[in-house]
Amino acid sequence: MAIGSRRSRAALCGAWLVCAGVAAILLSGCAGAPGSVPDTVSTAVKDSSSAVATARLALGLDADGKLTMAATATTLDDSLKELETARTTLLQLSPTVQNDRDLRREALAVLDEGTSGLTTARDAVASTDGSPTLQDGDRLLEAAAGRMSAFTAQLGGQ
Amino acid sequence: MKRLLGVALGVLTAIGGFVDIGDLVTNAVVGSRFGLSLVWVVATGVVGICVFANMSGRVAAASGRATFEVIRERLGPRAGLANLAASFLINLMTVTAELGGIALALQLASSVQYLLWVPVAVVAVWLVIWRVRFSIMENVTGLLGLTLIVFAVALFLLKPDWGSLGAQVLAPSIPEQETAASYWYYAVALFGAAMTPYEVFFFSSGAVEEGWSIKDLAQSRINVLVGFPLGGLLSVSIAACAAVVLLPAGIAVTSLSQVILPVAEAAGKVGLAFVLVGIVAATFGAALETTLSSGYTLAQFFGWSWGKFRRPAQAARFHLSMIICLLIGGAVLATGVDPVLVTEYSVVFSAIALPLTYLPILIVANDPQYMGEHVNGRPVNMVAMIYLVIILAASLAAIPLMIVTGAGS
Repeated sequence: MAIGSRRSRAALCGAWLVCAGVAAILLSGCAGAPGSVPDTVSTAVKDSSSAVATARLALGLDADGKLTMAATATTLDDSLKELETARTTLLQLSPTVQNDRDLRREALAVLDEGTSGLTTARDAVASTDGSPTLQDGDRLLEAAAGRMSAFTAQLGGQ
Repeated sequence: MKRLLGVALGVLTAIGGFVDIGDLVTNAVVGSRFGLSLVWVVATGVVGICVFANMSGRVAAASGRATFEVIRERLGPRAGLANLAASFLINLMTVTAELGGIALALQLASSVQYLLWVPVAVVAVWLVIWRVRFSIMENVTGLLGLTLIVFAVALFLLKPDWGSLGAQVLAPSIPEQETAASYWYYAVALFGAAMTPYEVFFFSSGAVEEGWSIKDLAQSRINVLVGFPLGGLLSVSIAACAAVVLLPAGIAVTSLSQVILPVAEAAGKVGLAFVLVGIVAATFGAALETTLSSGYTLAQFFGWSWGKFRRPAQAARFHLSMIICLLIGGAVLATGVDPVLVTEYSVVFSAIALPLTYLPILIVANDPQYMGEHVNGRPVNMVAMIYLVIILAASLAAIPLMIVTGAGS
């Protein structure tokens, strides 16, 4: 009987653990929220850089005839969504000093370049008149990737 | 000969049915961020699921009843309720994730927005559960899921530096750009993905559905001990493909579309076709299993008539509860929540709830009143106790790690 009751208590404790887990989701949302402006900017640019690299890989595979149009279009859509999420994160920041405001402005400009490359790439995939071309999209994405990489290095040096 | 074919079919189904959306996403995320430095976790998880799935199969074969039913009777309603609450909520999250996985895979195949595929997936899963025989349902999805072997084929076609991959496996280290907390967070997530609780509930209830007896134990043991480790190798090959193609390109996986890129690079459109069929089959099969598991746990706790071997009219509440679960899963996805995010949370929550699933199974498997002469032997109990310690550690670490890492971000 005592063993059974101890087991029941152990099981109930476990259930509490799961409830605590639900609370953790909320807390982890808070933990994911900006600790400092440079950290948030750095994460947003890193995520965007990953999205741009994904788009470039998908475009390359499409150009080589290894990816279907549906898969390429979906991959580019997902990359664009990732960039939009990063952009929203930056827009939700409330920097209190000029340096942080400048940093956010620069990061937004870098992300905009990525967005521009991605929309061109999507247009190229959907295009029926041959313009823009996949190469146009890749060229813009390559430039955006370079700028993101330079910006990340600049952030690391600060 | 017929028996041999039965064993082969069981093993192949176990391999194909091993991978679900949790394994797909978590292994790809880990491969793209940590290379193969977390393969040891997959190996640990596979051994664990083999031990406990085998145990729950034995409980079902020896007692003629599903594990959850016995837990409820053996440990009483309070412990049973705690077990039910934890496993049911996680099941529901997993149902949602699997439905999302089907929809995302169909979007990749068609470029039609995944939200439009969600109701199709819900209806299709319900129809199969309603109309298709248990063995056909299990074998067809399991065999089609085998097409995911294309990940292993792709790995060879990519001609990776095997020495470097081997070094990552044998001397695991945390990559420079990652933190120790993130590494351990994903270790817990991988462990949760490999040992998802629904697998044992489905396994033991499935044993009752198929009318297993003691003489079927040998075949069930072969299915588990051969099929699951080979399924684990499939998981590792997903991580390896991501480690070879995505990690060097600076791509951290956040969507299903990224998971398929290494296969397309290695095997082109043919590989892509295989991987899409495999993902749809794996997620569809897992959606069937998790939906059924939700019905099983509820029906077995409340003492309702259950099972696909009964006509739906004879197990009305069992079928109604599954329809409600599917509708809830569909409704959650309709809010626009990211299915990959739901998947990531579901595997971590699985890890949190693991003790609630596996401790009662161990208790029941040691009770001669239910098991007779088939109670656990000492070696099995020793391994199971070691696993309980690991499970408890993973469960306790999950929440702090989730907070510290901002859910791995």
